[in-house]
Amino acid sequence: MWKTVVRRVLIMIPQLFVLSLIVFILAKFMPGDPFSGLITPETDPARIEELREKAGLNDPWYQQYARWIGNLVQGDLGKSYTFQRSVGDLIGEKALNTLWLSLVSVILLYLIAIPLGILAGRYNNSKLDKTIVLYSFISYAIPTFVLGLLFLYLFGYKLQWFPTVGSVSVGLDPGTFSWYIDKIYHLILPAFVFAVLGTTGVIQYLRSEIIDAKALDYVRTARSKGIPMRKVYSKHIFRNSLLPIAAFLGFTITGLLSGSVFIETIFGYPGMGQLFISSVLSRDYSVITALVMLFGFLALLGSLLSDIIMSIVDPRIRIE
Amino acid sequence: MKKQRWSLLALLFALVLALAACSGGGSTTEEKPKDEETTTETTETTETTETETAETESDALFDLAVTHDGEAIDGGMLKVAMVKDEPFAGIFLAELYEDAYDADIMAYASNSLFEVDGNFMITDEGIATLEVDQENNKVLVKIKEGVKWSDGNPLTIEDVMLPYLIIGHKDYTGVRYDTQFKNIIGAEEYNAGTADTISGLKKIDETTLEISFKTLSPSIFYGGDGLWTYAAPVHQIGDIPVAELVEHDAVRKNPVTLGAFKFDKIVPGESVQFVKNEHYWKGEPKLDGVIVQVVPSSSISVAIGSGEYDIVLSFNATKMPEIENYENITILGRPELYYSYLGFKVGKYDYENNVNVTDFEGSKMGDVKLRQAMGYALDIEAVSEIYYNNLRERANSLIPPVFESFYNGDLKGYTYDPEKAESILDEAGYVDVDGDGLREDPNGEKLEIRLAAMSGDATQEDIISYYLQNWKDVGLNVTLTTGRLIEFNSFYDKVQADDPEIDIFMGAWGTGTNPSPAGLYGSADQYNFSRYTSDELEGYVIGIDSPQAFDAEWRAEQFKAFQEHIEEVATTIPMQFRYEIVPVNKRVKNYSIDYSEPTELHEIELVSENPVK
Repeated sequence: MWKTVVRRVLIMIPQLFVLSLIVFILAKFMPGDPFSGLITPETDPARIEELREKAGLNDPWYQQYARWIGNLVQGDLGKSYTFQRSVGDLIGEKALNTLWLSLVSVILLYLIAIPLGILAGRYNNSKLDKTIVLYSFISYAIPTFVLGLLFLYLFGYKLQWFPTVGSVSVGLDPGTFSWYIDKIYHLILPAFVFAVLGTTGVIQYLRSEIIDAKALDYVRTARSKGIPMRKVYSKHIFRNSLLPIAAFLGFTITGLLSGSVFIETIFGYPGMGQLFISSVLSRDYSVITALVMLFGFLALLGSLLSDIIMSIVDPRIRIE
Repeated sequence: MKKQRWSLLALLFALVLALAACSGGGSTTEEKPKDEETTTETTETTETTETETAETESDALFDLAVTHDGEAIDGGMLKVAMVKDEPFAGIFLAELYEDAYDADIMAYASNSLFEVDGNFMITDEGIATLEVDQENNKVLVKIKEGVKWSDGNPLTIEDVMLPYLIIGHKDYTGVRYDTQFKNIIGAEEYNAGTADTISGLKKIDETTLEISFKTLSPSIFYGGDGLWTYAAPVHQIGDIPVAELVEHDAVRKNPVTLGAFKFDKIVPGESVQFVKNEHYWKGEPKLDGVIVQVVPSSSISVAIGSGEYDIVLSFNATKMPEIENYENITILGRPELYYSYLGFKVGKYDYENNVNVTDFEGSKMGDVKLRQAMGYALDIEAVSEIYYNNLRERANSLIPPVFESFYNGDLKGYTYDPEKAESILDEAGYVDVDGDGLREDPNGEKLEIRLAAMSGDATQEDIISYYLQNWKDVGLNVTLTTGRLIEFNSFYDKVQADDPEIDIFMGAWGTGTNPSPAGLYGSADQYNFSRYTSDELEGYVIGIDSPQAFDAEWRAEQFKAFQEHIEEVATTIPMQFRYEIVPVNKRVKNYSIDYSEPTELHEIELVSENPVK
């Protein structure tokens, strides 16, 4: 198996290379550049041209690409034009925020979805099942920004249970206990919205797997051996039904870093999604290309992880 | 099977019900403010018609300053919201920042040396005074004694010199090393690395700096010509190499400053906490501190209503109807240093010789009558009222009225008059020959005018289609370049490159505090997008910033003549001026956004512990 993993990792290199080429060319195709936003009556067009020249933006694209890929191989992602700091630091900071948010969201998501999925599957066609299915349809259909704004309005501004903006209050010293508590406090509301919106898939998979499993031979065998119903569900069916969810786990883990534009924008939570959009709008090339490369890498890694996880949890599957 | 189908149907039904309930609720809540909006609109229109004769009264749409009742509490934290959907960049040094939001934050701890009056002219009230020696192209900058930085160190004349050495440095990568800066003698040699310092900077004594320029113009009194109006702390950043400065903690995390408040804590991209600066040269601030927080535009109105913030910066005026009925705030407003315009391409920029080449004969928009008629045909008045709730108004000139001494209030501008537009077009020979309802050009050829317009918020599309309809109503066939609205970056790319697909374009300028037409209407200016230049125009553009213009009255005349000239040739037709709105919570005792008498930050007080809800 490990041979295959190594091979898959090696294949990633040409894949990422092609991605980098496409991303770079497409980014250059966008009208404007990081300096076109600087036009005011007071800025000197000659100076802007000089800055373009200094930044190498007037060179042919393949020269720019060679320079960029050369630096990339050495781990240098360049400097953000807008934020005037190293792209690595910038992404690191936002990725950390997004990671926190996604982690809490995923935990909440499974906390909500797994029990609901099991209940719906176990008591299918009951009133409880129908309510859960209805809930999952609604949560699937409702747009992110509607739910986000609704929760923000209700729990943030009306009931004032949660903070309404940002990732942490400004007055605290980073690293202290109260700073961490405050960070988590800021996370709950956006993470909850994130979680509610994501529950549908997990609930539906789990529910249908359980319903299917109920009729399978191994369940009947277990029943005929006299194992109590509760145990059949918790030991036999549950573990098998988790397989499709485990299949997505790899993507879920790597997806933690991608962030959500809507949630981050509504809650003023500076993460990767927001950074990506703002860098596209301001033509911050170095950030755009670095982010797309990162997202691409994560997607490839995610699919690999999923395969590995599957082969571990399901002995029927072998990576060859 | 049958049973399942029924349950599915029931489920669908439930869903429909739930959705209907949702949307029903939504529409009722939406309807209410809409009704109120229309009523206030009508009252506003009656008001404006009444006061139309007294044009100067239009400023009174909003208060510029507010004083709320109640006894001031001791200290307190002022909570400022900055409406923004992205994180701020966080470069807290006047020499290096590029993003205007960083400047808004820094304003609470400003390193500004000079104070200005209502006309944005430098006065003697600030930390430093300015003495101009016109004859010898020299100025003296004198700083007050006893002024201290926020860390208690005294302000020195070296601190005044440092910014020049940063901006002029070869490793400096910002926009400020420009033609103006090169006006300082020795700046170019220093930038090229052939000199260790800028020879035009001369320390006279511990409190006086002499700066020599190549030429001087009246702009010097507005902080132009290369004069820099901020200080930078040598004792903190003097030894940091310029190339490393922008990423340094001294700029990002703990800047040392001169203003009423000093940086205390910063959450990158999100918020800044200031505490009072005991060393502030005008006296200790009455507040304990200020918190500036970035707030997303989607929730700012609710946040204002629930009293989360005391002062809201960068509030989008189109959201005015959402907050105008709140009782916990006072809405202040002032005209912005801004105008939007309709530009006509009447030439091309010659990038080889760096000069605008005007070609009326060869341009589709070359006929002045056609341009004028297009101006008269636009119902900008209706757009201002309906889409912008009168927070924008028809502009009559290219100088915003805030600049009282330069603004030409006598100009009529191109007010909405479709009949006049039609008669002008008839007169100029633009008549409908083939009977399709659209006018042909004087040669009888089909006339299609291509408009480039920028994309914007949701209403922008409606507004532009309304303008297209206005033109159609007088028989002009105007279509959009590329067939749709153009994204900002792309728009300026195309306009600047004189894209042949563009005949006319709608743009806007923020004028800054120096309304001089140099840079935008001169013969060598790339930003002179209409590409119109003439001896007469060039005379005004040069005249306004010439030594002769040290005579303030003469300069004002030149400004007025410039505005008149542009109105006559109509190569750029002013469209709208706009208002800037600042909601202020009623717990703020005193606040003013008047350009001539802005609030002294150290004198702001609060009347209660928590904002009014």
